[in-house]
Amino acid sequence: MISKLVQTEFMKLRRKGIWFLTFLGPFGVVALQMVNYGLRKDWFISQGTYEWFYYVRNVSAFTPFALILGIVILTSFMASIESETKAWKQVMALPVTKWSVYIAKYTTLVALLMIACLLLVIFTLCFGLYLGFDGNVPYLDIIKYSYYPFIAALPVLGLQLWLATVSQNQGLPITLGVLGVILSYMAYFLPDWMIWKWPSLDNAWDEPLVNVGLGLAVGLGIYLIGMIDFIRRDVK
Amino acid sequence: MVSLLRSEWYKLRKSKIVYILLVGPVVGLIIGIFTNIDMLPLEMNQWVGTLMMMNLTYALLFLPLITGVLAGMICKYEHDAGGWKQLLALPVTRGKVFVAKYFLLMLLILAIQVFYLVSLLGIGFAKGFTDTFPIEVVWKSILGGWVATLPLASLQLWMSMMFKSFAASFSVNVIFTLPTIVIVNSERFGPYYPWAQPFSMMYLSGDTNDIFFVPWDHLLTVVGGSFIAFFVAGFIYFQRKAV
Repeated sequence: MISKLVQTEFMKLRRKGIWFLTFLGPFGVVALQMVNYGLRKDWFISQGTYEWFYYVRNVSAFTPFALILGIVILTSFMASIESETKAWKQVMALPVTKWSVYIAKYTTLVALLMIACLLLVIFTLCFGLYLGFDGNVPYLDIIKYSYYPFIAALPVLGLQLWLATVSQNQGLPITLGVLGVILSYMAYFLPDWMIWKWPSLDNAWDEPLVNVGLGLAVGLGIYLIGMIDFIRRDVK
Repeated sequence: MVSLLRSEWYKLRKSKIVYILLVGPVVGLIIGIFTNIDMLPLEMNQWVGTLMMMNLTYALLFLPLITGVLAGMICKYEHDAGGWKQLLALPVTRGKVFVAKYFLLMLLILAIQVFYLVSLLGIGFAKGFTDTFPIEVVWKSILGGWVATLPLASLQLWMSMMFKSFAASFSVNVIFTLPTIVIVNSERFGPYYPWAQPFSMMYLSGDTNDIFFVPWDHLLTVVGGSFIAFFVAGFIYFQRKAV
């Protein structure tokens, strides 16, 4: 049942520019580095930071914002498909359970974001190869810095999907999303417990895996809470 | 025109827009609390230092992004349940509706800017600043940021009228706003990028001879030029929009 529902979700997404956004997010993140390296290549060389190590970290500096804004936009899109045309009743009238509808939405979002992360790996690698750094290509590092922020952002995904599906007015989840971006922009100043800090992979222990583990655990928690709340609410 | 504005006000009054307006000062407070001004030079005015730190995030990302959210909010009633048809069936011209909505949007942004100023005052009193309050500089920054959103607001109003989906108009906003983080560092492109203007107009610089922190002719060409382009395009779009 879930796989059928996921298929219908993907069908509803067609011709809405979602795939374009999924491509644009990772492309934009690498494109900003194209500008950065295009303008300041000599500066990097003079600093001795013209290396794969610093390049991968420079790319990942913008990943959190793109990721959070991507989550905000995609969740709002997914929820507005039904709320805009008042179609929640129609979906729920089908012989499907409410939780499976929620799971299908979540799965679709995770799939889209995973594709975006894969594209980020590819774009990072391609532009890195073009820049022609010395030394071996750190494949593992690139994959880590593309997927870790996503896993650490799962709580944000759970929160935004929850809010977007239960809000009549999409202005509210989007405003929270804007607030989240601002918080992730100041990640360096924030205390470690704030979920918007996690995608930056920065913490007191200097160990990105802490954020990944927290992201998985808290993400699952918020996901379940959101689902339970969605089930208990009246269909409008 | 006055009655149009009044009807817009009725539509907004009971909506959740107040919460969105209050996010502005909340962001200001968060930034003000989490950043410390100890790293600034001692001889600098405490108010100016704090406002500079706050503006780094507020003017760069928050102000352009929230402009789009507000634009979406004021078009929501019309997108829901055929409101455009009802509104335009009234004896009003489309041009007046567009201007009224734009006027309202700019009023809301002004409110956010004023709330932001209040949050600066709050932080100052909480931290017990003893320096004199540089009222002229602060007003320049607050009003300058507002003027810089004029073109952004007209583009976002246009996008919000065009797309039924909130997320669609917001993604246009994001696509133009995010690159600002990089562009603002560029001396060549920064001054000409409309989405970087809120930042440069709120940025406190020592030069206080002009009315704003950006030279007058530059303001007219970049902000004024993009404002006219976006406003006219949005205006024409709305004239021809099928409701």
